[in-house]
Amino acid sequence: MSQPPVINDVDLVHRALSRERSAISELVSLFEDRRPQAAARRATALAAVERHPKNRSAVVLGITGTPGSGKSSLLSCLVPTMLELHPELTIGILAVDPSSPISGGALLGDRTRMRMERDEPRLFFRSQASDTQLGGLSPSSFQVCRMMRRLFDCVFVETVGIGQSEADIRNIADRTYLVLQPLGGDEVQFLKAGIMEIPDAFILNKCDEPSAERSFHQLYQSLWLARPFDGGEVPIHKTSARTGAGIEELGKSLLEFVQSDVKRDPRKREAVIFERWVREEWGRNGSRFLADVLDGSRNYLEMAGGFDRGQQDFPGRVGEHFSKKAGR
Amino acid sequence: MEQPKPHQIPDKDGRVVRDPPWIFRTYAGHSSAKASNELYRANLSKGQTGLSIAFDLPTQCGYDSDDSIARPEVGKVGVPINSLDDFHALFDSIPLEKMNTSMTINGTAMWMLALYVALARERGIDTKLLNGTTQNDLIKEYLARGTYIFPPDASLRIIAEMYEFCLDEMPSWNASNICSYHLQEAAATPTQELAFALVNAIGLLDLLKERGRFSDENFERAVGRISFFVNAGIRFIEEMCKMRAFSELWEEITRDRYGVKNKKYRLFRYGVQVNSLGLTESQPENNAWRILIEALGVTLSRNARCRALQLPAWNEALSLPRPWDQQWSLRLQQILAYETDLLEYPDLFDGNPAIRSKVDDLKRAATKEIDTILAMGGVKAAIESGYMKSALVRSMSARMRGINTAEQIVVGMNKWTEGIPSPLLSGADGGIFKVDPSATRGALGSLERTRKNRDADRAKRAIDALQAAARDGSSMMEPSIECALARVTTGEWARALRGVFGEYRPATGVDGQKLGLENDRVEMLRRRIDALVDKLGHRPRLVVGKPGLDGHSNGAEVIAVSARHVGFDVIYSGIRLSPDEIVLSAVEENADVIGASVLSGSHMELADQIMAGLKAHGAEKRVALVFGGIIPPTDFEGLYAKGVKKIFTPSDFGLVEIMEAITDIIEETASS
Repeated sequence: MSQPPVINDVDLVHRALSRERSAISELVSLFEDRRPQAAARRATALAAVERHPKNRSAVVLGITGTPGSGKSSLLSCLVPTMLELHPELTIGILAVDPSSPISGGALLGDRTRMRMERDEPRLFFRSQASDTQLGGLSPSSFQVCRMMRRLFDCVFVETVGIGQSEADIRNIADRTYLVLQPLGGDEVQFLKAGIMEIPDAFILNKCDEPSAERSFHQLYQSLWLARPFDGGEVPIHKTSARTGAGIEELGKSLLEFVQSDVKRDPRKREAVIFERWVREEWGRNGSRFLADVLDGSRNYLEMAGGFDRGQQDFPGRVGEHFSKKAGR
Repeated sequence: MEQPKPHQIPDKDGRVVRDPPWIFRTYAGHSSAKASNELYRANLSKGQTGLSIAFDLPTQCGYDSDDSIARPEVGKVGVPINSLDDFHALFDSIPLEKMNTSMTINGTAMWMLALYVALARERGIDTKLLNGTTQNDLIKEYLARGTYIFPPDASLRIIAEMYEFCLDEMPSWNASNICSYHLQEAAATPTQELAFALVNAIGLLDLLKERGRFSDENFERAVGRISFFVNAGIRFIEEMCKMRAFSELWEEITRDRYGVKNKKYRLFRYGVQVNSLGLTESQPENNAWRILIEALGVTLSRNARCRALQLPAWNEALSLPRPWDQQWSLRLQQILAYETDLLEYPDLFDGNPAIRSKVDDLKRAATKEIDTILAMGGVKAAIESGYMKSALVRSMSARMRGINTAEQIVVGMNKWTEGIPSPLLSGADGGIFKVDPSATRGALGSLERTRKNRDADRAKRAIDALQAAARDGSSMMEPSIECALARVTTGEWARALRGVFGEYRPATGVDGQKLGLENDRVEMLRRRIDALVDKLGHRPRLVVGKPGLDGHSNGAEVIAVSARHVGFDVIYSGIRLSPDEIVLSAVEENADVIGASVLSGSHMELADQIMAGLKAHGAEKRVALVFGGIIPPTDFEGLYAKGVKKIFTPSDFGLVEIMEAITDIIEETASS
């Protein structure tokens, strides 16, 4: 297979940074590409983006919640509001939908909810299939975020909240929001949902519904039970995508966070993702090699010179190690 | 005088008579108000007895002809109406007071009724003399047809206000038609047709009662104004039984649920358009027989005979009908009514045990389904939860499966497909209708003149008053008539109300489809697609889009689901997208293929717009464009020349074959 010349990827980065949509789209595809040869191209692209004066460092916001809680409708009001509140802000959205476990295919259908009055060049929307049975995050969601955070001021990652995706998203997002809808039942239901420990903040959507006020208080109480050791109070935002209530307040609060410097250390995150990648590709032996011989993921990545180099070099290292062992 | 015998029909004085025929209609309208007026006058002179007005999609969806989303659709599937000036031209030299005018209009039904009333007022005609129907059934628009504008609550309020207005002002006008026609076009079973239509009527009557604007006596009259628009398919005995079941169930519902005492108000009144879903593109001449047989289903039984009948044309699966095609269908009705002895007999099926038993079966099943829907909160709840939509989608997949596996025989399509080519298709026009592109210019010119010549202040005041009524809950009917008189345009009327009510976007019907596609070919295709993942670096991505205003989404949805089923990542965003939105989806999603579904006849313009959009993003080489829908073979060359890679029409009913063809295209692009 012929490799496209490297210069193309640098050119792609320059075009993407001047907001050319098809270039952004192709770059995202490069970071979704799971073929081994893509890692080298990614390293080149990332290096080019880092050299470029327009390079950004976006905050990644995770939006998760059960199907039906209204995540998409919420984003469709929230995003235009934020774009209006801040006339220079650029936003990228990565929306993840579940893949069929049988065919591997997926139906991705959230885009049109994000319809704007007119074409809005500050907004970029990309759908992604989860590639897993549970509807969590795609293995390439992390990769795509590495690039997208360089191209936008703010990146939303929206997931279908079934099972482990809430836990996954913490490895990608700087802050995770759990969207809930008012429940009919008692507070135990919130606890039973088993997802209270994950998010950094809650959004109680559909707050125009009659049961919303009661749900708010139940949620507040449940939080005490589920997270007794939290330092500060966990914020609960009340919104209604239908009436627009609370959207502007939430938008302002997100903007404040986007403009602040409080971000998690990406290296820590990369280390977690790298560990998982090794486990997927090389199983338990690979993980043990990484932990024992290479002194852990974080250490190895520092030594190798970053995530992409780490990915490129690792197969050789692991092969060498095991062939030596076998020869002994 | 001789006593009439059991095989004869007596009049009230005991004389033997022949029944009067039903109303003959032809669904028609195209290009411009002036061109359509000429067509109507020609049809009336050929013996047609009622008008059935087809509006173009911009008019149906509330856009002016010069709106960018409207442009490719102007005058395509019907006549464009922008203002009262267009209505003057449309009904020029046609006596309104003598006409029975049926308007296939829903999202903008109140506006068209206001225009009709305003036209009568300007001509000095008493509105009490006006006869006709505004279709105005939004429930079936949400379910199947797609030309809704506002959310359910606002739509139902508009319908109710029209009933309240018409009862005294236009006592012979049907403010709405409860439609089961479109449900059958979406593959509804007879039971679903019965249940969904009746539960729809119940929802409407419950609402009228709840609003409390009618006295008991007037409510009873309002029940008498409910009329139905029904489909008749090829299983014509069952269809006749369905019509008998409809009559009996309606009699029972109006009597037991609403306590209607006057028998006249409990009559099931209905008009029919026979089935188009079963008409085939291959061997289209066979459709003439299908249409004849379907017409029998709704005329044979006197007790369940339709009030008005519209027949499609034999070539409907190929294009819009030409005037000659419509004339041929009209002649069928005239022969049936005037040459045969059909109208000389009383009901031929009363007391037949086979018919009785079949009717009872249908009634039982329908009643059960009605109860289920009422238990979940009625028709509105069943729409909002997607219950009815997914039931229809399942019926459609069952139908597709039947045809795919040839369990359901369709002559000339999946059986006896070899035949002598039809001479009907060999004329200079290829047997199909073409809209003259210059004909729509008239619509744009008249719109410009109306805007220029009107009293701008009066128009603005009229729009403000309309919005105020929409907000404060008072009737929007008179304010709409004032808008009409003030030469407000269709787009302005709809925009004013969109501003108050918002616009409805429904759930797509892609969940719960089972296609019955499990065989070696599917497995093989999945392996080819898996191989493409390695070659492309991503799973092949397909954007399925319905550009323009046509809302028949079932075909697109079946394609979207099939594509996922064989392993594509599919981006499907529902209906009413502008070509720009589809292009942006394809660009941002880095799609390999755009599949555009077009049934409105606008494929040429849409191909131009999509290709231009792709070029503007520099993506025309990367993204392949394929079309599906009602596209005449004579347009294939033109579309290929514009860069379209592949065209699928109703004769390509094999879903696996379609997916294989799309996969071929991606493989070719990948290796070039």
